[in-house]
Amino acid sequence: MNETLDEHAALLAQSVGDYVRHGADLPRVRALAQNHAEFDPAQWRQLAELGWLGVLVPESCGGLGLGLAEAAIVAEGLGRALTPEPYTAVAVLAARTLEGAPVSPLREELLGGLSGGSRVPVLAWQEQVDDFAGLQLATMAKPFEGGFRVSGEKQFIIGASAADGYLVTALDGDALQLLWVPRDAAGCSGDSVPLADGRSYGRLTLRDVVVPREQVLASGQAARDALDRALDAAAAVASAELVGVMKRANEMSLDYMKTRVQFGKPIGSFQVLQHRAVDLHIQQSLADAVLHDVVAQLDGDPGPVPRALAASRAKSRCADAALAITRAAIQFHGAIGFTEDCDVGLYVKRAMTLSAWLGNGRAHRARYARLAAGGGREAA
Amino acid sequence: MNDWNTMSDEAFRAEVRTFFENEFPAEFKFLPRRMRWHECRDWYLKLSKKGWIAPNWPKEHGGMGLSPSKLLIYMEEYERAGAGRMPDQGLTMVGPTLIRFGNEAQRKRFLPLIIAGDAIWCQGYSEPNAGSDLAGLRTEAVPDGDDYVINGSKIWTSMAHDATHIYVLARTDKAAKKKQEGISFFLVDMKTPGITLRTIRNIAGHEEFCQVFFDKVRTPKENLVGELHKGWTIAKGLLGFERLNIGSPRRPLQALEKLEMLAQARGLMADAGFVERLTQLQLDLADLGSLYGHFVDKVRRGEALGPDVSMLKVWSMDTYQRLSELLIEAAGEHGAIEGEATIGDVMIDTLSPFYNSRPGTIYGGSNEIQRNILAKYVLNLPS
Repeated sequence: MNETLDEHAALLAQSVGDYVRHGADLPRVRALAQNHAEFDPAQWRQLAELGWLGVLVPESCGGLGLGLAEAAIVAEGLGRALTPEPYTAVAVLAARTLEGAPVSPLREELLGGLSGGSRVPVLAWQEQVDDFAGLQLATMAKPFEGGFRVSGEKQFIIGASAADGYLVTALDGDALQLLWVPRDAAGCSGDSVPLADGRSYGRLTLRDVVVPREQVLASGQAARDALDRALDAAAAVASAELVGVMKRANEMSLDYMKTRVQFGKPIGSFQVLQHRAVDLHIQQSLADAVLHDVVAQLDGDPGPVPRALAASRAKSRCADAALAITRAAIQFHGAIGFTEDCDVGLYVKRAMTLSAWLGNGRAHRARYARLAAGGGREAA
Repeated sequence: MNDWNTMSDEAFRAEVRTFFENEFPAEFKFLPRRMRWHECRDWYLKLSKKGWIAPNWPKEHGGMGLSPSKLLIYMEEYERAGAGRMPDQGLTMVGPTLIRFGNEAQRKRFLPLIIAGDAIWCQGYSEPNAGSDLAGLRTEAVPDGDDYVINGSKIWTSMAHDATHIYVLARTDKAAKKKQEGISFFLVDMKTPGITLRTIRNIAGHEEFCQVFFDKVRTPKENLVGELHKGWTIAKGLLGFERLNIGSPRRPLQALEKLEMLAQARGLMADAGFVERLTQLQLDLADLGSLYGHFVDKVRRGEALGPDVSMLKVWSMDTYQRLSELLIEAAGEHGAIEGEATIGDVMIDTLSPFYNSRPGTIYGGSNEIQRNILAKYVLNLPS
């Protein structure tokens, strides 16, 4: 990493730290969750003004043109603050997909708008459970002279409620098409499935939606490559959010163990709790170390197999560590940890939704095993 | 001199792989026990001559000065080739300790001996009544003329019967208020009159550790490392290097190599339940590599290792044991056979990783002691 980038990272870490200290507003998070809302336009504007939405957007499109190491710094802070707005879904998954698409007026317009906060493109790629790479597609793109007519259904879309349009994957014969479908396109409808943490998965139904040729963002192998690279990046950055969640939950548990007195002593003096806390701290440290290595590896743009292995390592460790740490936080807090008023619950639920999205620990271990069996582990 | 760190990972891996595979003596590959000095001497000298004996040391002292990622590749290829663990106390403990805490004369005298294989070190730490409670040690050193005179006994001293030198923690001030104060750190030649030892047979039937007795053993005053009575700081510094060494992925990698061989031989990769458990362990080990790299980086930057290094040791030895247990389970009925069993088209000693990994959660400070350290000094939990 050169000095300028190091400087960027340091400045970013500082502004993220300030945001978490002053801007992290758990009452806001709680109020949004209770109303099953997840998007506050004012908050989104603030993220745009801080430059965070454009971390991965090329400078030529108005972004900062930085890498995943920097996106991970932002995401860890947002995870720690439990910010429900879809940073990873938009500023990483959609931004990386668009960035990987060939240059076109639409690509520049969407990337610029994404970075500035005026456009909220969201990727709609997944149809089947556990198919987080979006390989099993039933959505079809039927060509006609002006473009494609698209029909199919997509699910598990984080950020759908805020989206002004979707980056949709569809098959034209064997060829993958990456298409822009505005939210209000004729034949495009959606609903949502509530999640444990008050956010939601969007479901998208497309019936003979007309996609004019100029809304085709990428085709064939170019579309596949852009998608795969973006999905691995998003798995890594979602892992950073999980690291933020687990660190804060662990801090809450340790603070509580130092102050809660039973049998005349702080409960943190009991060896059985100390050793349990240590084992969870080890999981947190492993997650942190893996995340650090993996984003550095991904920023070096390795081949698809080492990249996928690395992303799966990160998501598997970070998801499972966050689940273990937040669940234990309930136990450490005792009955109060089981109440709705206790903030611990907010962290447990965010760990659950972030773990499940983009492939949970088990699913990523299965992918890792498949790729490693093909001789990929050595290449990594 | 080569700058290994500017080589590509692939080129470096290819170079060390070729050398380890071709040059490590075939008869000692995947030996189920530790190599004795007479068995590994030639190999040690071969590595020394090539400049590869001390991958973790800085170049100025005769090491390779490898970056964490290169060091991990070195270890992976060493274990992949089935190359055995040599008496490595000098390379992993004494060297880094003298580089950090020793004086120039001690570095000049002892470091080249280690590189050349002329000094083989063992560790005089534990005593019959000072195990987990190391600071309760009672071996004494008293000044007398130009020497210190040492009396007492050390136990669980690995490979002492092959060692030419021993480093010893001894009490020099019995009146000190705290038991950690009044301990000093000495270097002692094993040929000094008054040293005797008895070997102790371990659970696997091998003689790898000893009890060492000191009866009026004289060591010259220049062999005191650091200040008198301040040996606990050095002892803890060395324990940091020990935890880094035990916490490296090296030993668990040995077990993983065997497990992968067994899985191929038995066709277990078609068993989804087995694959899930194997993958979890592969990732536990890969992630240990990332955490290990983080601590190696600290040492390279010249930063002191803090108490947080204990977590490496806990995780590494825990992973090693879990790997050894899955190896036995995956061997089915063969998992009860003593020595090598023919499984499919390979010969595997399925019990040796089990035996070799058992003391890992006991020596170097038991995993429970490491957790106490982490709870107190890293998590700042009350006592």
